Amino acid sequence: MSLSPLLDVRDLKVHLRLGPNVVKAIDGVDFRIMPGECVGIVGESGSGKSTMARAITRLMPNVNIAELSGELSFEGQDILAMPDGALRALRRGRGFSMIFQDPLGYLNPTQRVGRQIEEALSCDSSRGSNRNRVHTLLDEVGLPDPANVARRYPHELSGGMRQRVMIAIALASDPQLLFADEPTTALDATVQLQVLQTLYRLHKERNMAMAIITHDLGVVAELCDRVYVMRAGKVIESAETVRLFEHPQQDYSRRLIELSTRRLPRELQA
Amino acid sequence: MSEPILRLNGVEQIYRSRNANGPGWNQVRAVDGVDLDIREGETLAIVGESGSGKSTLAKLLLLLNRPTTGEVQFRGTSLSALASADYQAFRRQVQAVFQDPASSLNPRMTVERMLGYIVQRHALATPGETRQFLAGHLAAVGLNPPESYLERYPHQLSGGQQQRIAIARAMMLRPAIIIADEPLSSLDVSVQAQVLQLMRDLHKTTNVGFVVISHDLGAMESIADRTAVMYRGRIVEIGRSIYERPYHPYTKLLLDARLSLDPRRSRIRSMSAAPSRSDSSAPAQGGCRFRPRCAYAVEICATQAPALKPVDQAGTMAACHRAEEIGALRARSAEPTVPSPLEV
Ligand SMILES: Nc1ncnc2c1ncn2[C@@H]1O[C@H](COP(=O)(O)OP(=O)(O)OP(=O)(O)O)[C@@H](O)[C@H]1O
Ligand SMILES: Nc1ncnc2c1ncn2[C@@H]1O[C@H](COP(=O)(O)OP(=O)(O)OP(=O)(O)O)[C@@H](O)[C@H]1O
Ligand code: SF4
Ligand SMILES: [Mg+2]
Ligand SMILES: [Mg+2]
Repeated sequence: MSLSPLLDVRDLKVHLRLGPNVVKAIDGVDFRIMPGECVGIVGESGSGKSTMARAITRLMPNVNIAELSGELSFEGQDILAMPDGALRALRRGRGFSMIFQDPLGYLNPTQRVGRQIEEALSCDSSRGSNRNRVHTLLDEVGLPDPANVARRYPHELSGGMRQRVMIAIALASDPQLLFADEPTTALDATVQLQVLQTLYRLHKERNMAMAIITHDLGVVAELCDRVYVMRAGKVIESAETVRLFEHPQQDYSRRLIELSTRRLPRELQA
Repeated sequence: MSEPILRLNGVEQIYRSRNANGPGWNQVRAVDGVDLDIREGETLAIVGESGSGKSTLAKLLLLLNRPTTGEVQFRGTSLSALASADYQAFRRQVQAVFQDPASSLNPRMTVERMLGYIVQRHALATPGETRQFLAGHLAAVGLNPPESYLERYPHQLSGGQQQRIAIARAMMLRPAIIIADEPLSSLDVSVQAQVLQLMRDLHKTTNVGFVVISHDLGAMESIADRTAVMYRGRIVEIGRSIYERPYHPYTKLLLDARLSLDPRRSRIRSMSAAPSRSDSSAPAQGGCRFRPRCAYAVEICATQAPALKPVDQAGTMAACHRAEEIGALRARSAEPTVPSPLEV
């Protein structure tokens, strides 16, 4: 029996208008996530990773699109053709959610963060009161003193605390697919480990599929079943994680692995 | 020895925010008594707990925050007493790269206008040569071809491209010191290597110093002359070789939490236990603030706060009652000896 993909992207093109020019931010990408799978997306800065995530979740404010084409389906539904209302429902109720690379740009500066998490909660009253659920989420992403943090505004938090609030918001809707764009860059190593543990636990317990965009190959090695390597708007390699680390096919992939390895103490190298 | 370029003397920063329910204020002691000398031309890394006050420290050094108590000095003069001429010198010589690149770039200006304005104000190049000057600096941070980035607005750049514009902006002024808060976090390792090399080159040619705040311990090990480790508003360890020989249990915990690059030995996937929790208790009264998480705590740790004091001949300082013992542990075996954070 072969399962059908949760997310199926075929020949996706996202070309953006830039004055008289066009930037081919995504230029023919195939990408697939099975239910309950965890995939990593690595690659050059500027290779189109965030653009792809935004196109898939259809959250593209502020862009001037020259071309958007290809097939994008989530659970067999065509996302590109979906009306906004249906899409919003998909984001809120057990569909997909997104952790953005730039939390400050997506958090509401005038609203306390606890309230923002509460608004994202899935409607599942069996899980206790909203306040308790907010506090549990904050605790799970490693924020000490949840009651206190919930009352603060985004600007009253450190960079890593904001990043964790963003993660809590994304998890609040209990998604089937979590798209995470550099979710742990602002976290110290011990908090990062704790957050990755939480993501992994939810991934297993709730069969939550994950796509993690990261520059940190350690995150990929720890969590991901499969990896896509991107360069200049294209996927240049995709493979199971162990295979990519042990037998990279492309020079660029090899270079990423080698440079990452060189910086680690011997006991942590592959 | 030469005078430090920047110095923090007993600095504290308390943030106040309005209480959500009812009147009154909430206080956050973000920086809680820090003394620090930053020497001319050195690269000082600041690592540590998320929320421990690193960005706040950067803002204090940049004169963006005024300390609640204590003072910040620039070349021996207290920042609160800087005459306006010295203030101009300070603004030029001390440059910043902020943690959120997107919010530190003016959204309504193209890269060329934003940077061109600085070039003109500081007469770094003639108007005719400005474009070429900027192109050179963008190429140096790996933005190729540079011309195609000059015409963009910040939102038309990827996260890592914004970060590199911020780095180029700080570097082109040839400052005496650059205070960079997470400058590498959105860069792939290949561009990171290029930026780290650029920092070394710039240091060689202009003796610029850096204060780099980062969670990337590998990158900091490769570039730092000294590293300070922060925990809950304080420096708990500072020295040249903390990566090979940590003296403070928190430093060890951090180093041991680094991820391996071997997918066959994934810690997280092989883990069955519930996730470890960071400590959410209120700061301990009197005792060591790391005690609730410390695998080495003894009786005295509950009652006496350890002071930051020298622990070896190399000038390392650590704030732990058992620092010498812990440093000796690591020296004897290369194997991690601390229980992993998953077990603590
Ligand atoms: N609104 C926009 N208009 C025009 N070009 C854009 C826009 N947003 C991004 N780009 C360009 O599209 C390309 C892909 O950007 P994207 O943000 O997807 O990269 P990324 O892989 O996420 O990079 P990073 O790792 O640096 O975050 C980049 O070259 C970028 O400059
Ligand atoms: N404007 C503010 N008002 C109130 N509290 C603040 C403010 N800015 C920071 N804080 C608090 O001060 C503490 C230190 O914050 P800071 O941003 O300096 O941490 P950091 O070490 O840079 O953390 P990170 O690594 O997560 O960026 C945190 O508890 C934060 O919530
Ligand atoms: S002083 Fe005691 S509690 Fe604090 S870090 Fe050292 S051993 Fe641990
Ligand atoms: Mg990105
Ligand atoms: Mg910070």
